Amino acid sequence: MQAEIINNIKFGIFSPEQIKKLSVAKLTVPDTYNEDGYPIDGGLLDQRLGVIDPGLVCKTCGGRNKNCPGHFGHIELVRPAIHSEFGKIINMLLQATCQKCHRILLNNDQIASFKSEIDAELTTESGAKENSADSHSEAALLKKVKSIKKCPHCEAVQEKLKYSMPTYFYMGERRLKPDEIRDMLMKISDSDLLLLGIDPRTSRPEGLILDTLLVPPVGVRPSITLETGERSEDDLTHKLVDIMRINQRLEQNINAGAPQIIIDDLWELLQYHVTTYFNNETSGIPPARHRSGRALKTIAQRLKGKEGRFRYNLSGKRVNYSARTVISVDPFIDIDEVGIPRSIAEKMTVPFYVTEWNFEAAKALLERTEYPVVVNVIMPDGKRKRILETNKEDLVKELKAGYILERQLQDGDITLFNRQPSLHRISIMAHRARIMGGKTFRINYCSTTPYNADFDGDEMNLHIPQTLEAQAEARYLMLVAEQIFSPKNGDAVITNGEDGVVGFHLLTQDDALLTKDEVAYLLGIAGVREMPKEAKGGMYRGKDVFSLLLPKGLNYELTTKKEHFVIKNGQLIEGTVTKAIFGQGNTMFVKIVSDFGFEALRKFLSNASRVADACATFYGVSIGVKDYLTSEEVTRQKEKLIADTDTKVHDLIISYKNGKLEPLLGYTLRQSLERMITAELDMARESAGNMLASHTDKKNSAMLMSISGKGNIVQFAQMSMFLGQQAPMSGGRIKRGYYTKRVVPHVEPKSILPRARGFVTSNFSAGLTPVEMMMHAIGARSSVIHKGLLTPKSGYLQRRLANAMQDYCVYSDGSVRDVSNNIIQTVYGGDGVEPTRVRFAKTELGEGD
Amino acid sequence: MAKKIDISTKVQQGEPVGVIAAQSIGEPGTQMILKTFHFAGIAATITTSGLPRIVELLDAKKIPTTPFSSIYLMDEAKKDFVKADQIAKKINEVRVNDISRRILENFSNGKIRIVLDKQALEAVDLTPSQVAARISKAYELDAAATPEGNVEISTHTKVLKDIRSISVKLMHALVSGVAGAGKAVVTQSKTTGEFYIESAGSNIELMLPIDGIDKAKIYTNDVFEMYKVLGIEAARNVLAKELKETFDGQGININERHVLLVADAMTSRGHIESIGRHGLVGSKESVFARAAFEETVKHLINAAAFGETDFMRGVTENILVGKQIPLGTGVVKLAVKKQDVEKKSKK
Repeated sequence: MQAEIINNIKFGIFSPEQIKKLSVAKLTVPDTYNEDGYPIDGGLLDQRLGVIDPGLVCKTCGGRNKNCPGHFGHIELVRPAIHSEFGKIINMLLQATCQKCHRILLNNDQIASFKSEIDAELTTESGAKENSADSHSEAALLKKVKSIKKCPHCEAVQEKLKYSMPTYFYMGERRLKPDEIRDMLMKISDSDLLLLGIDPRTSRPEGLILDTLLVPPVGVRPSITLETGERSEDDLTHKLVDIMRINQRLEQNINAGAPQIIIDDLWELLQYHVTTYFNNETSGIPPARHRSGRALKTIAQRLKGKEGRFRYNLSGKRVNYSARTVISVDPFIDIDEVGIPRSIAEKMTVPFYVTEWNFEAAKALLERTEYPVVVNVIMPDGKRKRILETNKEDLVKELKAGYILERQLQDGDITLFNRQPSLHRISIMAHRARIMGGKTFRINYCSTTPYNADFDGDEMNLHIPQTLEAQAEARYLMLVAEQIFSPKNGDAVITNGEDGVVGFHLLTQDDALLTKDEVAYLLGIAGVREMPKEAKGGMYRGKDVFSLLLPKGLNYELTTKKEHFVIKNGQLIEGTVTKAIFGQGNTMFVKIVSDFGFEALRKFLSNASRVADACATFYGVSIGVKDYLTSEEVTRQKEKLIADTDTKVHDLIISYKNGKLEPLLGYTLRQSLERMITAELDMARESAGNMLASHTDKKNSAMLMSISGKGNIVQFAQMSMFLGQQAPMSGGRIKRGYYTKRVVPHVEPKSILPRARGFVTSNFSAGLTPVEMMMHAIGARSSVIHKGLLTPKSGYLQRRLANAMQDYCVYSDGSVRDVSNNIIQTVYGGDGVEPTRVRFAKTELGEGD
Repeated sequence: MAKKIDISTKVQQGEPVGVIAAQSIGEPGTQMILKTFHFAGIAATITTSGLPRIVELLDAKKIPTTPFSSIYLMDEAKKDFVKADQIAKKINEVRVNDISRRILENFSNGKIRIVLDKQALEAVDLTPSQVAARISKAYELDAAATPEGNVEISTHTKVLKDIRSISVKLMHALVSGVAGAGKAVVTQSKTTGEFYIESAGSNIELMLPIDGIDKAKIYTNDVFEMYKVLGIEAARNVLAKELKETFDGQGININERHVLLVADAMTSRGHIESIGRHGLVGSKESVFARAAFEETVKHLINAAAFGETDFMRGVTENILVGKQIPLGTGVVKLAVKKQDVEKKSKK
């Protein structure tokens, strides 16, 4: 059956007649199953409402559990109840209309002006009433109407109407009964309703006073059979049983001519049950509870919130053709590949659409007995058959164009790979499948950055696009190579980082020479079948080896304060590889793409990641305590630096106390002192880093990492020199205490000396003193707390942003509009340039534009 | 030399720029937190701005937690500290509290005496008689400077309550400067060496008429004030600039196009709307889009009561019912349908 495509959805209020027309059964018995365990006729699980037991047949449509969607029933209430959720709307209607003639409480002039406003709305582009919440001007109307004491039409004096949540209405002192309210609502004319913004064709308000209650099909509220064989009913069924019981009692009492008080009490109870049936969290009334004391989950609760129908089942859906497992590294596969365990590949399928042109291939595929085999065959009528030894031959004979074969996943298939949280679009990218052993997904470490993945136990999801359209989109728009430049700022995010940079850094040293065997080993890994030109003594220069990986004929130059890097005609002439060349936001990739295209960059990165890794292993980068021990000279200098800093701070404090300190602009004297001290301490840490850098051998592994870009000098200095100033997240130096104003009791009260306020002069290899350890812990703890507090905030922010702007897209004229065709920007970003391509725009316009 | 490959830099039709902007701004939100964790313990990398400021801007909060304005000066004053300082003094907000030691009430003769702090008074360049003049003018009170350099106010009443209420009012009485301007200080620009005024509050409406300031360059980080005084375009620019600078301050590089789109979205209807249920999301056309965001029941109930229609034009609605979304490759449609071709070929 071809499903209809929904064009629009209209909301409205059912009238009792509509409910009866929709209903297949009037329910009268407030019970579910009889003693035999069969649904009672006229009970809440009446078989006319659909069936949930696999053995039974729906009495309305004859369908079974799987193909009968269920049908609505209804309950007739002996006394009407108010739909509590609409209390505010009912109140608005009662307030806005005359109590006698039920016309709107506006005189004819006002009506005319109001009408023209609505007409203006009606003639908007869409041709229909704009639905946005702010177009309901009823709030303004209500305000206007509240002061009117006399009906402008019949001159009747209006009594004071009071509404008390959720279902109580008073006229003067007298309580209005639901049936009275219904009569009042019924008398409001269609034209007046239109004035109030209500569409009378679908939303006549008297439907809000319920005397017929629509009962959802059993499929909506299935009963569960427990292991003990006991049946457990859905919360909604419980609630409906309650309503029916009270309804029955009320009926009996009315028929028996019981006193009005008793009837009113029961009526009240009926109203309570109806109210809680719609929303069990209605304010002002106690929630209905299950026998166990748990509050019942009724209609509103099912829809609401993160776990509600909307966000849990409708905005996000469960999917087939997906897999999930732990990820691990494989530097030998390409950046746009994903290693998939054989066990997963055997279970997942890709459709093979049989046509008359690929018929022979399809047949051959179907006849296969070894991986990859066809798992299912889908007939043109949509029936799916599993292939077994027994039916295979028949199916081969039967096979013709129009059939779809579901074959096992194999190398080269396009897949979508995702890691949660999916914070940006590059959290899902297309990878080419590569089937291998093991039980984990494998990815090249260059591609971890966009996923923010590491290999400490992270799991990722894999999806197989099933239609040719989806596969084509994935292949041409979502492939990793297309995503190298981030939409956030156009920086290259997929790069060779960490060990890769260190490896190339070593390889491209000026004095790096390799033997023929070594060169063959390294280039062999990349699949390069070419030797670089020989340097002196039968050796080969590392730079020449690196050059062979580059696209042929690349010209690139980078000159910064620290480095000078020149590639001419595909040859690395000068400079060593560091993070600036290879890391995030580098410009070399831009050059490669603009001269050779994305495929060249993909190839280069894939090869480079393999070789770089091999280089790091080949040279060996290992770290020991020795790397972090400083020479006596450096130790002496460090101590002098700390002593100097102490003196400088001391001097500052003295001059502050003598009143000789010049305050900084805009700061008080005390604040200036604090800032000067902080600046002094920061400077000390910085010069410690410089000191360490200038006195450490370049071959020192720790130093090597700082230079090439795996980590930076700060971390090295923290281990070899001193930690420097510790700070809480609130900024400034650590502060604590009321009277004594000291962080720990080991220092003078009110001391503002460096060490008393979190300046740590020990390093991690020597170890911290207890006081220093405390200071360090204060800083660390404060940041952990902050992280915990800000994470949910940032998540909510992103949800709001996405929801607010998700409909915006670029139109053919280059403008940005939302779905209602409101123009947000006349030209996207002011110039229509795509953020991932800004770097390219620069080269097109010429540097410096 | 390889042939130059033509790479288009233009945005393509259907590009879901809104989602990309939202993600580009939202994603570093988590990064901001995670990164500071990695650098735990180094003072320089820890700041108090960051995410809270971004939230404040996108919430379209009426008053910023830390209002701030920069007042640039005209030709002479920007090179002359003394002149610049004179203008700063006109702006610098001084209240009685700032310059007094205590306020004494004499209930027997109905007089209130403000004991002035001479040092503080000197710092803001005021004399007791100026203070008295200002108070008598602005509050219609009988104030006069006393010989010993204080200010005395005759209330002409002996009712305790009245005297007390006057004295409470006096504590916060504005003596000089611009109300709301906060502390204004002359600063020197690091790049041009010119002087300008920074103030820890903002009220550009009252600052603008002051002589000697560069009216074209005045700046406040208060988006609403900008909107009120200089209009929605100015507010949009401030919003974009503030967002961008907050990210830059965190060392996060975001393309300005994303920030501009957010700023444009928040201001495109001619007034400032927040990103959230009371702003942009709450005023969406689609019932389902609103219901799927927040306040699900409220939106559904209202839709039913007023008989609204959801035209299935946005993203959320179409995902809910399982249709293709009208973005990206989903905006492309066939001009000629298969059935039409078949019909024609039959003819």
